Amino acid sequence: MNHAVISCLHANLAAVEAVLDDIDSQGIQTITCLGDLVGYGPQPNEVVELVRQREIPTCQGCWDEDIIDGLNACECSYPSQLAERRGHRAHHWTADLLTEENKTFLAELPMTLRRDKLLFVHGSPNSQHEYLLPDMNAFAALERVETAGAETLFCGHTHQPYVRELRQGSIRVKVQQRDQGAPTEQELELPMRRIVNAGSVGEPRHGSTKATYVIHHDNTGEVTIREVDYDVAKTCRAIVDAGLPEVFAWRLSHGFEYAERAEDASHVCER
Amino acid sequence: MGQVCLISGPPGCGKTTWALQRLQQHQGPCAYLRLEGEKAVGLEQGDDSGIDLAWLKDQVPRLEGPATANATDLKQDNDGLTLIEVQQFYPPSKEGVEGFGDNVRSKLEALQLHPDQLLHFGRDPELPAKDTLEFSKLEAWHTSLSGCVWDPNSLSSFWFELVNGAYGDVYRAKGLMNLPDGRAFFCNWMVSQESSQFLPLDATAPPQGRPSRTSELVVQGKALNPEGIQATISDCLLADDVLAMQQQQLQQQQPTSQG
Repeated sequence: MNHAVISCLHANLAAVEAVLDDIDSQGIQTITCLGDLVGYGPQPNEVVELVRQREIPTCQGCWDEDIIDGLNACECSYPSQLAERRGHRAHHWTADLLTEENKTFLAELPMTLRRDKLLFVHGSPNSQHEYLLPDMNAFAALERVETAGAETLFCGHTHQPYVRELRQGSIRVKVQQRDQGAPTEQELELPMRRIVNAGSVGEPRHGSTKATYVIHHDNTGEVTIREVDYDVAKTCRAIVDAGLPEVFAWRLSHGFEYAERAEDASHVCER
Repeated sequence: MGQVCLISGPPGCGKTTWALQRLQQHQGPCAYLRLEGEKAVGLEQGDDSGIDLAWLKDQVPRLEGPATANATDLKQDNDGLTLIEVQQFYPPSKEGVEGFGDNVRSKLEALQLHPDQLLHFGRDPELPAKDTLEFSKLEAWHTSLSGCVWDPNSLSSFWFELVNGAYGDVYRAKGLMNLPDGRAFFCNWMVSQESSQFLPLDATAPPQGRPSRTSELVVQGKALNPEGIQATISDCLLADDVLAMQQQQLQQQQPTSQG
């Protein structure tokens, strides 16, 4: 059985509809969503309601969390004053527009979803705000997957889709106990682990404006990264019509994220 | 008698870069003057607002400004060099200063400057030709940033958006921008160039309060969106309390002198 994993929808209805059409056209019936249903984009209620209507299992993204908990992330979330002000503007606009019912839905989303040895998170098993970048230190990446008890970790948040295989991992432990002679050593060989990033449906940042998601082929373990065309101009018009900053439309139409990633991408906000 | 050289050309053709090289090579006293050339239909002259002079003076501190461009000493000094830069879209129609408009001629007359060398970018082989572009329509916009200090990462994002078309088709942008650590940068972009220049000024100020040096932004292009540019700039500039906090941290990081 194949299943699709989508992430980072960011209130972009045209992109979400195009991706769901692409999934449906392949006869795939299982979909998992990695969060960030809202934020920056012009149709937060429509996107949340579509995910609810389709009953897509979803874990909570950083935007979904912040829109409920308020703007209490520390300044590390933004790389610049400009990005912070735009982010706050988008936050207040979204928070004002979202219905109470949709806010409740976002508030009740789980941090993680698990299916056997597959783990689904937004950022990392540690936090919705942590970025697992493709070039992250291999030991740290392996630690994230292994300590979460997963063989394959599906994540989003970076908006850049990738599949990373962590092979030939081993952990060597040396324990020196008090009053007990020489230290004891133990080495553990780890089987191959994988991190799969689903990219972004509504706010791509992989060098193109196309929406991205991944298909996991259960039988073979293969992962396919899909790129889907959608009506970018329609969403751009909706951004301007909604009164959101026009520069959001320009950035989306050029495949640039609304706000750049924080400088220290591995930083986990401690609130 | 000192030399008086007038160079002319369209925006972004490399006049100031050429002038800087010429002034750096010149060992004697020197002065610089910028004049607006003849107007052309559909082509707005960019208000330089002193950016070029401030940048050149930073790089060549002995450079004199327009106030002394007519100084008798400089003109009579055999080693003296007066450089006059004229933004003009088309080559002069006649030989000598007669080929320039009334504005240039009257200014030269008032300052009693008689150029013995007149060069136009795109026409004279003594000047580099590679950056010369022809424009059919050009809008110009500028804003004063006097006393303003940028959040550095925000400046980077703003400049990226500006030169990549977020606020209209920008052909030319240049500015002098202050950072909280006391440095300033000459930011320079031309559509014919692959990338922007971010050149640090030699003169730095201690990270304390708002700097008093020249700070301006000039943009030329088509279908410009000044309101959008201004709104983004407002989001990038540091408020008094944020600037004070950042500069306090910078001051604490500076090494203290050993007694």
